[in-house]
Amino acid sequence: MKVSVEWLSEFVSPLPAPEELARRLTRAGLEVEGMDRPAEALSGVVVARIAAASPHPGSEKLTVTQVEAGGAPLQIVCGAKNFQVGDLVPLATVGTTLPGGPAIQRASLRGVESHGMLCSGKELGLSDDASGLLLLPKDLVPGTPLAKALGLEDTVLEVNVTPNRGDALSHLGVAREAGAVLRLPLQRRLRTPAESGAPASDSIRIEIADPVGCPRFTARVLEGVRIGPSPAWLRRRLERCGIRSISNVVDVTNYVMLELGQPMHAFDLDRIQGGLLRVRRAREGEPLTTLDGKQRTLVADDLVIEDVRGAQSLAGTMGGADTEVSEKTTRVLLEAANWDPGTIRRMARRHQLHSEASYRFERGVDRTALPEVLDHAAALMAELSGATVRRGRIDLHPRPAEPRAVPLGRGEVDGLLGAPVPGEEVRSILGSLGFAAEAGDRWGVPGWRQDVERSEDLVEEVARIRGYEHIPSVLPASSGTLTPEPSWVEVERRVRGALSGAGFDEVVNYSFVDPAVLPWVTPRALEKLGTPVGALALKNPLTPQQAVMRTSLLASLLSNVAFNLRHQPESLRLYELGRSYLRDPHGGKDLRPVAEERLKVAGVLWGRRDPRGWTAKDATNDFADAKGAVEAILSALSAEELTCRLARVAPFHPRATAEARVGEVVLGWIGELHPLVTRQLELPPGIFAFELEFGALEKVARLSPRFRSLPRYPAVLRDLAVVVPAAMQAAEVRAVILEVGQPLVEDAVLFDVYTGAPLPEGQKNLAFALSYRSAERTLRDDEVQEAHRRIVDEVQRRLGGQLRGR
Amino acid sequence: MQDRLESLASKAREEIGRAGDASGLEALRVRYLGKKGELSAVLGGMGKLAPDERRRVGEIANRVKAEVESLLAEAQERVARAALEAELEAPPIDVTLPGRMRRPGRRHVVSRTLEEITRTFQRLGFDVVQSPEVELDLYNFESLNFPSDHPARDMQDTFYVHGDYLQHDPGGIVLRTHTSPGQIRTMLTQKPPIRVVVPGKVYRADSDATHTPMFHQIEGLLVDRTVTMAELKGTLDAFVRAYFGPDRRTRFRPSFFPFTEPSGELDVSCGACGGKGCRLCKQTGWLEILGCGMVHQNVFKAVGYPEGSVTGFAFGMGIERVAMLRYGLDDLRSLFENDVRLLEQF
Repeated sequence: MKVSVEWLSEFVSPLPAPEELARRLTRAGLEVEGMDRPAEALSGVVVARIAAASPHPGSEKLTVTQVEAGGAPLQIVCGAKNFQVGDLVPLATVGTTLPGGPAIQRASLRGVESHGMLCSGKELGLSDDASGLLLLPKDLVPGTPLAKALGLEDTVLEVNVTPNRGDALSHLGVAREAGAVLRLPLQRRLRTPAESGAPASDSIRIEIADPVGCPRFTARVLEGVRIGPSPAWLRRRLERCGIRSISNVVDVTNYVMLELGQPMHAFDLDRIQGGLLRVRRAREGEPLTTLDGKQRTLVADDLVIEDVRGAQSLAGTMGGADTEVSEKTTRVLLEAANWDPGTIRRMARRHQLHSEASYRFERGVDRTALPEVLDHAAALMAELSGATVRRGRIDLHPRPAEPRAVPLGRGEVDGLLGAPVPGEEVRSILGSLGFAAEAGDRWGVPGWRQDVERSEDLVEEVARIRGYEHIPSVLPASSGTLTPEPSWVEVERRVRGALSGAGFDEVVNYSFVDPAVLPWVTPRALEKLGTPVGALALKNPLTPQQAVMRTSLLASLLSNVAFNLRHQPESLRLYELGRSYLRDPHGGKDLRPVAEERLKVAGVLWGRRDPRGWTAKDATNDFADAKGAVEAILSALSAEELTCRLARVAPFHPRATAEARVGEVVLGWIGELHPLVTRQLELPPGIFAFELEFGALEKVARLSPRFRSLPRYPAVLRDLAVVVPAAMQAAEVRAVILEVGQPLVEDAVLFDVYTGAPLPEGQKNLAFALSYRSAERTLRDDEVQEAHRRIVDEVQRRLGGQLRGR
Repeated sequence: MQDRLESLASKAREEIGRAGDASGLEALRVRYLGKKGELSAVLGGMGKLAPDERRRVGEIANRVKAEVESLLAEAQERVARAALEAELEAPPIDVTLPGRMRRPGRRHVVSRTLEEITRTFQRLGFDVVQSPEVELDLYNFESLNFPSDHPARDMQDTFYVHGDYLQHDPGGIVLRTHTSPGQIRTMLTQKPPIRVVVPGKVYRADSDATHTPMFHQIEGLLVDRTVTMAELKGTLDAFVRAYFGPDRRTRFRPSFFPFTEPSGELDVSCGACGGKGCRLCKQTGWLEILGCGMVHQNVFKAVGYPEGSVTGFAFGMGIERVAMLRYGLDDLRSLFENDVRLLEQF
């Protein structure tokens, strides 16, 4: 909310400098987010009296004037003609920079010196009139800075009022806060109207058919209204607070809203038909044309004010076109009512009608103050429009506000803040905010503080007016029960470390993705690739491309690949550690998560294996690189060995994909993307990926592996090369070696794979390095020889392999 | 025979003196001193000599053998020294050629910041817990004292999720708008004392340079019999010093959240200007980093803690904001484009 410091000072004075005021208000919870000095643009502009004027010798359009502006007379050349000698006009002195214009310099205009510039209202940003000089009131003193002379010197504070503090949405409300923090009394001078004529209730009857929506309705009738412009001081205040001036009658309703916080409405009484206004809920489908000219269709929850014709305005939100005040209006019904915050809130949302009025009603307005606020506004309106106020105030109050009191036990302030606050200070602060001490340690809550309901609220009042900086800073006495760090934290750390080491950059993506992508990335039976997926869908996505929750991290990672390919990288290695989201028909029961949120680790690889370099080979990332990344993760987790076996699973290539397991635990999949997927997603071929369940990694991680004593006897190394069918998986061969080699073969490491001449087509040579070792003694050569021969025989017998050079 | 030995010796002297490398010397050693070498060949004929003569020739032979051995040793020394000198004086390698490495991957700046902050709170004795992102309206709003029509809901534009596939009606489903439902779930499953942080993703229907529809928060919750605001302040001061550095100051000021009372916001003195005022801090000298407060008794009521039996504090911090401040980022949205040229800067 915009707050004029000049206006504020009517309620509290003396105010400190605006900067200090802003600091104090911010400390008390009314955050001042910005400050504007509208008069700043006018610095250097002064009031000048035209002492003499003569035609310019060289130009018919120009006039040479002599002006008095405090010091020695100045000669100014001027293009306007709308003045006479003796008039007061604004002078931009040499050195002044006008809004949007160049700095004023001493100049020679067609041979005549000019020491400044006389200005129009438009040049100063004070009006839209550019036709001539701005003629100033005659009573101003020449030489006075214009801003000061016109009372424009003001600072406008932009105050961020939190939603609980509807009471602070007015100058009075902010002044009350300022008074409390500055320990200054609040001056509140409200007008009361002089009444005359027949009682107001003779001209209009008001009914409230819905006391829930309308707890109170007050109104006054004004006659002899002359619609016209508001005086400058009022227009200026409105405009500074961001409200456009319309007419004296409408301006008064806005002015009093900004001043006291109560939104009001002025009806043209003669346009209300049937002498009746009635507050009721709308009928489903009922039409209404509001002040903004929009035709609206209402719903049964809407609250309207109707006359005999039907709904005339949306209560508390926007007036109706048919009963609007116009230039012809002479009789006004001034309404000040109270509306149910929830009702107003729903209406404003439904009809996209967020007005100054609805903003305040949603946050709760004090209904106890309605009569005096109404009177104040009526008196001001009468004064500005020459109207008389009819006798009597209409005041329907079907739901009077209950007086409220909140207990504040001794010690509660100290106990919650953790610091002693003298009881006298507590009483003084609460008193300054309008709370009234009652018997039994209770505090009466003023009508405008609808947010205060319990003792903690009072503690907050005390704390914020004192300033939170007075609360001491101590470490908690409660340590809770320290527990060991959950294992996932460490597993996560190690997984990230391993992937960083393997050259994967981490990405973080939105959890919602394009629904068109899901059929092509969701892990499931390969046969289902490309078919619809039941995913969690947003009701209100920001864009259609962010409409469903991802079922696989690959949905995101593949879009990262596409995005980055635009910059022609030579390779990409990306990983993400995040959740995927699956429907759970029983989700949300008790504490069960609504969706099955699975934490996963996924990576993608594409392009060169090593960046171009003088030692790099021109190799591209392939399955072994993807698998290597998974092995790096498992190694970092001290997990048992990774086992892979061919798998047919979407969205992967049936020929180049493995199910990754450790023992019986399935981790996920590693493979090349299915060609249909890359085609569908407009990606290049040669993308490899893996996606692992984080939960499975947690299961296989051995964060505290058991110590094993180091071997005491040397190993004996022997190589074994065997030719097998090309389609045979190396793990089968290795399994035979390890099985048959029991107990002497410690490990068998595949170190070469060869296809091509002289091997026949469809055959490959696998070479293993075997290490033999005994825990009890150094192995004899003949023992190793014997074991090795047995392995060779078995490999040949079981797998049909042929032995190549031992 | 004596002559033969003498001539053998002089020939060996000459040849060893001429030898230029280790392999040449080895060949000479074999030729002269080896089992089938020349010395052995000469000595092979000793059996025919008379005993006196044999003794005399034997002495000569031993002397010659010793001399050849010593000559060989000297020559080996000389050759090794020469080889070392040659090795040291050979042209140098090109040390300006790039090193051979695999560039380690980089952490994403947001996940890195989240981890750093989480770890800092772990150092302050908070346990880390996880909480779901797809959440019931009940836990995201209702239990946190947001009545259905409260204007506080204006502060957050919420993503709602279709629940038509569910076999029961759990009420509205949202993407959590803050990590605060983690408070509720923690309190529903643990008894006080509680001291946890909940890091994670949160969602709001908003997108511009300083708002993304998904971002990260960390929630803190401490519940015990008597917890004070002074302890909240102390915890946050300790965090700021531990994370931002000992020279940063804090400003604690009142604010409003439905689930805390009293509520506050914490500002940290601007690191760019040292609190004097600059563009980053919009001339205020302060940067707002988190919201906090004493847990509202209605929240305790919602999780079934008997009224007045405990007090507690809670806080919530936006991670992207901290990352932006710490790393000088200007457009939040670029963080989630995952352009590797940006990722590789961190």
